[in-house]
Amino acid sequence: MTRIVALLIALLKDWSRSRETVFFVVLFPIILLVIFSSVFAASTPTFGIAVQNQDLGPDGEPTELSAQFVESIEGVDPLSVTHVNASRNVTDSDDARRVLVIPDGFGEHVRDQAGRARMVIVRDTVTMVQGQLNDSQRQSIQSGLAAAGERTNATNATGVTVQFYAPPDDESAPVVRGILAQVVAEFNQEAIGVEEPPVTMTTGTTGSAGLGAVEYYLPAFIATLVLINGVMTVPSMIAGFTDDGTLKRLVATPLRKRDWILANVIQQSLLALVLTGVMLVVAAVLFGVTVVPGPLSIALLLIGAVGFSALGMALGSLLPDPDAATSLGGIVAFPMMFLSGVFWEMDIMPETLQTIGRLLPLYQFHRGLRRLMIVGTTDGVWPAFLSLGVLAVVFLAVAIRLTRWRDFAE
Amino acid sequence: MTPPQTERSGSVIEVADLQKTYGETTAVDGVSFEVFEEEIFALVGPNGAGKTTTVEMLECLRTPSGGSAAVLGRDVGTDARAIKADIGVVPQSFHTFERLTVRENVELIGQLYDDSLAVETVLDELDLAEWADRRFETLSGGLQRRTGIAMALVGDPAVLFLDEPTTGLDPDARRATWDRIEALADRGTTVVLTTHYMEEVEQLADRAALLLEGTIEAVDTVSNLIERYGGAIKVVVRADGRRDEPTADDAIGEILAADAIDTYGTDEGDLVGLFEDRERAQETFSRLHREGGDRAIDLVSAGMEDVFLRLAGSTPEPGGDLS
Repeated sequence: MTRIVALLIALLKDWSRSRETVFFVVLFPIILLVIFSSVFAASTPTFGIAVQNQDLGPDGEPTELSAQFVESIEGVDPLSVTHVNASRNVTDSDDARRVLVIPDGFGEHVRDQAGRARMVIVRDTVTMVQGQLNDSQRQSIQSGLAAAGERTNATNATGVTVQFYAPPDDESAPVVRGILAQVVAEFNQEAIGVEEPPVTMTTGTTGSAGLGAVEYYLPAFIATLVLINGVMTVPSMIAGFTDDGTLKRLVATPLRKRDWILANVIQQSLLALVLTGVMLVVAAVLFGVTVVPGPLSIALLLIGAVGFSALGMALGSLLPDPDAATSLGGIVAFPMMFLSGVFWEMDIMPETLQTIGRLLPLYQFHRGLRRLMIVGTTDGVWPAFLSLGVLAVVFLAVAIRLTRWRDFAE
Repeated sequence: MTPPQTERSGSVIEVADLQKTYGETTAVDGVSFEVFEEEIFALVGPNGAGKTTTVEMLECLRTPSGGSAAVLGRDVGTDARAIKADIGVVPQSFHTFERLTVRENVELIGQLYDDSLAVETVLDELDLAEWADRRFETLSGGLQRRTGIAMALVGDPAVLFLDEPTTGLDPDARRATWDRIEALADRGTTVVLTTHYMEEVEQLADRAALLLEGTIEAVDTVSNLIERYGGAIKVVVRADGRRDEPTADDAIGEILAADAIDTYGTDEGDLVGLFEDRERAQETFSRLHREGGDRAIDLVSAGMEDVFLRLAGSTPEPGGDLS
């Protein structure tokens, strides 16, 4: 134990005296917090869209119905609408990234198809109430329906399709498409005379009610920081000690391999605590968010730090070159970050990737921290303790197995 | 070739047929030697001879491929931790926590041993007290090496391994390091050092082993090695000291060879004749002055460099031995 403490103190002193390392290690989480929180804490986002109305009258002006449709789109807050000349080929242009094309004949098709739809509604309504009608009423209604039906059929009414174009790299296109679909649905309802829809919807929040972006993302930042520190910084540091001969000097003493590994893992775990503290202070000062981690949060944080640092020790033992070790850590860290749903919901990923993501320790770590620190519940946090505990034990054993204590490469 | 070793008591290192191979490459090929208590033993050889590999096997930092080695009666393969508790090591490519001070680095290593010397005592012994609060990264090469020796001594070792202890040091720092190594030996520490500086061997070592291509060519006391392989006295005909008229090397060679036990040429072009007794050497020296007249001629005692030249065929090059 004396050896571990002595080494731990030496490691902490050596680390803390590197101004560059301390600066960047502290700066990184602050940058992460400020950028993400600012981005996601912004008011309702606005999506730009260009509208090309090809349904023009003889005077070159938009027809009445197409103009009403455009007004409906312009009335939706998240959309910022611009207009494209009807003669332009929008699919070959890079000027407008998202374009909605209203085809020629839009108004005529809407009017005819709306009439047809209304007839269907009337006929269905008559069928529903015909038991309450006498023969005379029934007969006059049938003749009226027949006349109106002949008129409607004569128009050969069909629906009309508006076309939404977006480039393949437009990550917001699904959102815009959803908004437009809602606008189209409401326009259709109004066209057939539905003034008060039978079904409406309001929205609310579940468990995390009232949380702002900073609270929501704080556990994600902390989990990511612990992951990156353990899986990318530790391998580089360990490989550096191996590469410059510092480790060889220590190995020439009675120091045990396991003491070396434990001292490094403890050092990184303490750093994770300190850096989490820095992040919480920044969140409080810049965003007014006060989060005080409880004992369980701190325990989970420490287990996570031990687990990821042990993984880093194992990775660092594989490659003696610090740059290569950092790259190897990146190969492990970044896919884990993207697959674990830390910065976005996992629902956007394919089913298989979601399954893989839920098996990753970062997923449990992040969810556990969020529940404990932000939501304030212990429900569902035990899988996090279990998976990170297993990670810590397994990779401590692997690190002890893989770390060279003889035969260093020259 | 491994000549018979000097019979002495108190062997602290016993090496028998020690081997180290890396795939098809043999770095150490069956070396055998002993190191005795309280002596300074030098492993001498050119780059790639296997000096560092041999020493690192004794330091338990490298696994032997064959043979056996025991330090203080313990096997290097199975008793590594016990051996490490009783030895001090200054590796060739020595490095430590660069942002810790000299004192902190020495303290750290001391805390890794069950029994260690007082840090201040070690710092005083190596004249490091005034540098004790300086960070390692700010020290000169000589002070860094001296810190390394302090770190090796703080565990109060019975055997001290110094791998190329003066490589890269200026002459003053080298001389100061020699003084400290001699002081350590005087107080009873057994010292094993590797070097390619023959002057260092003559200055410090009681015994030396000459290592060439992974095998020991000779091992004995330094004086015996010089006597056996260096010749007692040298007559050196300098290549860079020609006088008025050139004289053919063949003629000089004939004069040298007439009474010398051996002759050879150096990389600098000097011709060297080795003589068993001073009288014959003096006669040859006088004759060369009379008959070989266009060269500068010196009469010098033989040394380890001559031993090396005889056995290795060339002068050892400066630089590290990384094998």
